[in-house]
Amino acid sequence: MANPNDFIAIDRVSKIFEPIDHRMAPVTVIDDVSLDIREGEFVVFLGPSGCGKTTLMRMVGGLETATGGEIRLAGERVTGPDRRKGMVFQAYSSFPWLTVYENIRFGLRYRNDVDAAEKRRIATHYMELVGLQDFADFYVNRISGGMRQRVAIARTLAAGPDVLLMDEPFGALDAQTREFLQYQLLGINRSERKTVIFVTHDVEEAVFLADRIVMFSARPATIIEQIQVGDHIEGERELETKETQAFFHLRNHVLEAMRVQARRTEEIERGAAG
Amino acid sequence: MSLRGLFAFRGQSSSRTDAAMAVVAFILFVALWYLLAYFQFVPQRFLPLPTDVVVALWDMTVYGDFLRDIWISVARVWAAFLLSVVMAIPLGIWMSSYRIVGTLTEPIIDFIRYLPVPALVPLLIIWLGIEEASKVAVLWMGTFFQLVLLIADDAKRVPREFVEIGYTLGARNRQILKDIVWRAMLPSTVDNLRITLGWCWTYLIIAEIVAANSGIGHAIWSMRRFVKTPEVMAGILAVGIIGLVTDQLIRYAHRRWFRYL
Repeated sequence: MANPNDFIAIDRVSKIFEPIDHRMAPVTVIDDVSLDIREGEFVVFLGPSGCGKTTLMRMVGGLETATGGEIRLAGERVTGPDRRKGMVFQAYSSFPWLTVYENIRFGLRYRNDVDAAEKRRIATHYMELVGLQDFADFYVNRISGGMRQRVAIARTLAAGPDVLLMDEPFGALDAQTREFLQYQLLGINRSERKTVIFVTHDVEEAVFLADRIVMFSARPATIIEQIQVGDHIEGERELETKETQAFFHLRNHVLEAMRVQARRTEEIERGAAG
Repeated sequence: MSLRGLFAFRGQSSSRTDAAMAVVAFILFVALWYLLAYFQFVPQRFLPLPTDVVVALWDMTVYGDFLRDIWISVARVWAAFLLSVVMAIPLGIWMSSYRIVGTLTEPIIDFIRYLPVPALVPLLIIWLGIEEASKVAVLWMGTFFQLVLLIADDAKRVPREFVEIGYTLGARNRQILKDIVWRAMLPSTVDNLRITLGWCWTYLIIAEIVAANSGIGHAIWSMRRFVKTPEVMAGILAVGIIGLVTDQLIRYAHRRWFRYL
């Protein structure tokens, strides 16, 4: 393994979308972004909707290709998706034809390094870790959206990835469920110690979850600011952390920066329309 | 049993009420028919009594050769239907998986799909004769090209996320098709198969009327020559009953197989 300080190296990455309709101009979504992520770090990509932060995360997952620059995972160039880069989506995250347990077990389906008994053990372990053992035999259409996202997280972890990529996983949930899952995710990650890239446009979510917040500008995405949350908020994150002065200050700071970007996005859209 | 929901604008009703209303509609229909025929509002030569039709169906199946005709028709329908299915499912999935297959086949399939099948019957008879092959070919022409597009569409409507989840769990293309795409599209595909099976019967009767010496269509057509209206209607009734029973059986299987929906 290469330098642990750049477990994930995003090296001068750009992405230009060539529109299918050739009469339209190509769109630069990501412009020359460089970023190093340590092993075990929880990094939140924060930016206005449509800024390209999801695209960048998908490129780390090998689901999109960069038009410039390269991305390395543990020193190895990312060329496509595989089991080392686990993904949790906002929607369609679990398979309706499988039960909760079967969904989690599915995460191990393509692993040849463990036998069937071990697969059962791992699947059960992660089902318990996300607290769904009482719902093992429920089809996922019968459980709530929050539970479904927990199924997806457990399934992804069961596959044994090196990095966990989360694309606004709690974006479709109501506020209470979202807060509960954020807290649960922190707990899970304390025991799993995964490297996480978490994409969101929710400032409070970013401040609550992140070791480091990477703030992106409106399209084309460039990094405008990085914040080590630990420099501002001390100690383990608990739900009460959200009520502290430090949390409040940091949240306001980030919110202000994001407002500027939101205004810029609108100007860009207006410019494109006019 | 509350009936208010039946009359409210966009109201709701229980499945029990729905079943009861289906029986009511059926009884009303038969009663109206009976009255029209009994009082000769329509001459009985054209509109026999419902009971005459039932008696005709009984006589045809018990004393005549009608059971053999039914068997032959069912065999033709299923032969053509299964042929369409085993060809349409792989091709449809393949079309949706690779643009090169889709872009090459879609224009041709769309063209053939718009050809009226009865117009092809003479050609198919020239090519294949009047034996079983031409009948199966007519049904196949009528269903395969429709079905393959429906299957391709089912496969295309599988959420992109499902496929990407497969990749990030380490699946290969073949495994994604078998374990994810196929499983995700299966409920709507079974529905499309059920509907396609219904079309088979439409084309079957056409094929059997034009050129056949057996089958339900042939039976109906030969009764017509002697203006045996009850027997003609009995033949039609038989097709309706077979269609309804098959349809309900597949619906039942759908509910059993896809309990999670």
